[in-house]
Amino acid sequence: MMTNTEHVQKLKHYRISADEYELIKKLLGREPKPIEWPLFSALWSEHCSYKSTRVHLKKFAQTLNASVLNATGENAGVVDLGHDERIVFKMESHNHPSFIEPYQGAATGVGGILRDIFTMGAKPIALADYLCFGSVSAPRMGFLVDGVVRGIAGYGNSVGVPTVTGQTNFDSSYDKNILVNAMAVGLLRPGEKVALSAAKGPGNLVVYVGAKTGKDGVHGAAMASEAFDENSEAKKPNVQIGDPYFEKLLIESCLEVLQQDLVVSIQDMGAAGLTSSSFEMASKGEVGMRINLDSVPVRDSSIQPEEILLSESQERMLLICEPPKLPALKKLYEKWGLDAVVIGEVLAERKVELWWRGDLLTSIDPHLLVENAPMYERKFNAWSAKNKMAKLSDLKFSAPLKTESLALPQHTSRQSIYRQYDQRVGLNTVRGAEHDVAVLRLPDSGRALGISVGCRTEIMRMDARIGALDAVFYPALQMACKGIKTIALTDCLNFGNPEKIEIMSEFVASVEAIKEASLALEAPVISGNVSCYNETMGENIVSTPAMGLVGLGPDAGAQKFLGLIPMDHFQSAGNPVYLVSCAKVWVGAPANGARGFFGDEDLPMWKKFAEDLTRLIRGGSVVSSQMQSLGGLGTALVKMSLGEQGYESSCLIPETEVWGDILYQAILEVRHTEVAQFESLAKGLAVKKIGEVKTGVLKLNDGTNLNWSEARKFYQQGLRGTIENLA
Amino acid sequence: MSKSSIGIVRFPGSNCDRDVFSFVEAKNMTPQFLWHLDQFDVNSYQALILPGGFSYGDYLRSGALSARSPVMKSVREFANRGGPVLGICNGFQVLTEAGLLPGALVKNEGLRFVDDWVELEIQQRNPFWCKAPAKPQLRLPIAHGDGRYYAPADEVKKIQDQGQIWLKYRHYNPNGSLLNIAGVTNQKKNVAGLMPHPERAIFDWMGGTDGWSFL
Repeated sequence: MMTNTEHVQKLKHYRISADEYELIKKLLGREPKPIEWPLFSALWSEHCSYKSTRVHLKKFAQTLNASVLNATGENAGVVDLGHDERIVFKMESHNHPSFIEPYQGAATGVGGILRDIFTMGAKPIALADYLCFGSVSAPRMGFLVDGVVRGIAGYGNSVGVPTVTGQTNFDSSYDKNILVNAMAVGLLRPGEKVALSAAKGPGNLVVYVGAKTGKDGVHGAAMASEAFDENSEAKKPNVQIGDPYFEKLLIESCLEVLQQDLVVSIQDMGAAGLTSSSFEMASKGEVGMRINLDSVPVRDSSIQPEEILLSESQERMLLICEPPKLPALKKLYEKWGLDAVVIGEVLAERKVELWWRGDLLTSIDPHLLVENAPMYERKFNAWSAKNKMAKLSDLKFSAPLKTESLALPQHTSRQSIYRQYDQRVGLNTVRGAEHDVAVLRLPDSGRALGISVGCRTEIMRMDARIGALDAVFYPALQMACKGIKTIALTDCLNFGNPEKIEIMSEFVASVEAIKEASLALEAPVISGNVSCYNETMGENIVSTPAMGLVGLGPDAGAQKFLGLIPMDHFQSAGNPVYLVSCAKVWVGAPANGARGFFGDEDLPMWKKFAEDLTRLIRGGSVVSSQMQSLGGLGTALVKMSLGEQGYESSCLIPETEVWGDILYQAILEVRHTEVAQFESLAKGLAVKKIGEVKTGVLKLNDGTNLNWSEARKFYQQGLRGTIENLA
Repeated sequence: MSKSSIGIVRFPGSNCDRDVFSFVEAKNMTPQFLWHLDQFDVNSYQALILPGGFSYGDYLRSGALSARSPVMKSVREFANRGGPVLGICNGFQVLTEAGLLPGALVKNEGLRFVDDWVELEIQQRNPFWCKAPAKPQLRLPIAHGDGRYYAPADEVKKIQDQGQIWLKYRHYNPNGSLLNIAGVTNQKKNVAGLMPHPERAIFDWMGGTDGWSFL
């Protein structure tokens, strides 16, 4: 009999609460068996079960519309683009492992998100990343930035999927808990079939494919569900090690197997490895499964059943195959140098049996682990804006930009990061990572597919609702600025400890805001991921709901459009520059130093702004464009001048309007021969000519006069100036 | 099979194999994949291309394992008979490892992968590959971690004297290669290798079309 202390120790070891233990006993009608402890620990972890957030995430279902196929129960919804082209995409966090071991943490984050995509039968065609680092002077930060970037590059480049866009924020809130979110986009070309993960057909075989199972990543899901403490370094062995070469073979072979219709269903072994894949496949298919743990290929003969079940060794897949198709399946994998091993079969009764050396370790209803995880209604407060000002004059705006500020981490070029990513493999890239918005060309219809990620830490810190609305609208408007209409969203919700009421309140406000933004834009949330407990020694990160957006260019004249997409930098001297506004929310600094805002969000107006911009761009006379970023109109004009051409103002604008942050404004450079055409398209909009493209000068609308070549020099110095590891 | 096919060698880990396949198709030629484990009839192909990627996961050294795979016996025979062979990026690394091209490709200066557009200057016209470029200066994308061309001094002198330096970087050398070398050929010029990717610059929407003339 276990003593009370032993029992408490055991609960702690498996990260199961006393209440959860009681619930497990009630569901089973008995004490859990030894092997069932790790099963519940993994599948009921926050990471696998979303127990703190599921109640709220359900709201995203309201955003789904007719363009989303196959949305329930799978890794992601499938978006129908018409012309029988469909895409699947998702963003996922790998924050905890990346902080411990940046190279492998980031690399396996990329590997994991790719498997989520090709497991649905879609060929991965693009990767994007959303990274938040601490202040560059924080301990280990140079090492972390360098390791994360090399990890993403090392994995993505090798598997042959281009990394086409991303965002990198620096903020002291991430000093002890960086964010590494990777997004993958997959394409199903005409005629290709979506693959499902529900196990079906009693008597069908359960087949294991890919790398052998080792002891790496055991308890990884549970680790990701816990705050960091001073002993986090000791968790290094929990970080998985990836091999992109194996992943590449898996992608090629699994897509071939799916196209040849050799499998009934397929799922990757992600968090909680074999446990989550087998139990989820059985639970979704309302069937059982017999698994012989002895048959699982292992790297180390001393490995125990618990470790086999929880290992997060990378590059592994679980398939269900009809027995007559097994020889063909094995032969195909053999061609790619991979073993396909039968480890069990599908049972009619909804029970998962785990066998080890002739003993039945457990026979358990998969629903208990997958469907019956507790759902918590964590306490939260209804959202009320904290930093809203009564009058615009309560806000102070940033001082005019100095040329040397362009070398600061928040402004400077990200070239030293994106240059390490292969952006063009696959021959679909029209615009790579040096641009605000990535654009791919869909190979069959020739249409433009836009990809953008977003979430601005500074706005989130000011107000979770405005910040989360902006996390959707800002990238959507950046795409609109390139003539691309947002069609669907994914989210990666990075938050602190959900047991703290202020964190949970921000979470709920963010989810509600994302839902509303999604409905306003008619762009459904098709997939998502939550990373809670981004807390180190009691300090929580700024809530960071990162968004990944995908959009489409026009159907008619698709090929011509690829040549019309505006550039990010000013193009030709003599072209007029216009400011298009939809000013509703002003962001600035109130007296106390934190950020505050004035004005009200207006979702229908923001949506209309996106439509107006898209229409203006598709008119074809805009040659360069950018959304106004933080730092005001002044900073945006400077950034547009950092290519080959500068800018000269043609009218005086008050300093507050040049340096104030306004949601939202866009800057458009119009071909000087097509001004009339542009102005007639822009009739009725808040459009104003503010200046002209001019070579070698930088004269802003408040009279600020900057040295153009010096500004470029500071900007191009990039992160190399502050982070020495970056080559 | 007619002699008009262009064979594209696929190793496990090749990742520009389909891209090169599309390029060959776009040029109205007939691409045919060749598998790393199989030898082939050298009379059946008009030319061979070894595409980019991370063949065999770059294990040991990039190109080292591929250079010793069964398909390379046929590639060598084809090359020795004077058949045109082009290695792009990892394919270039494989050809140097196989001894079909002089020199070696080592880790970039700075030890980081580099993706960029580069300016190139054709040093020697090649009668097999990029026969008729519009101009001797080209702009092409690169994407590699091991692209720094190196050869011992006597070998460098030899390839210089024999006109085997095919392409050089202009203005800026992205990887620290010797003499700014971006591509070389064998003495007979039928075997050629380059680090940049011509297949990534064949349509306007890709950002440039200077790769079009390579086939």
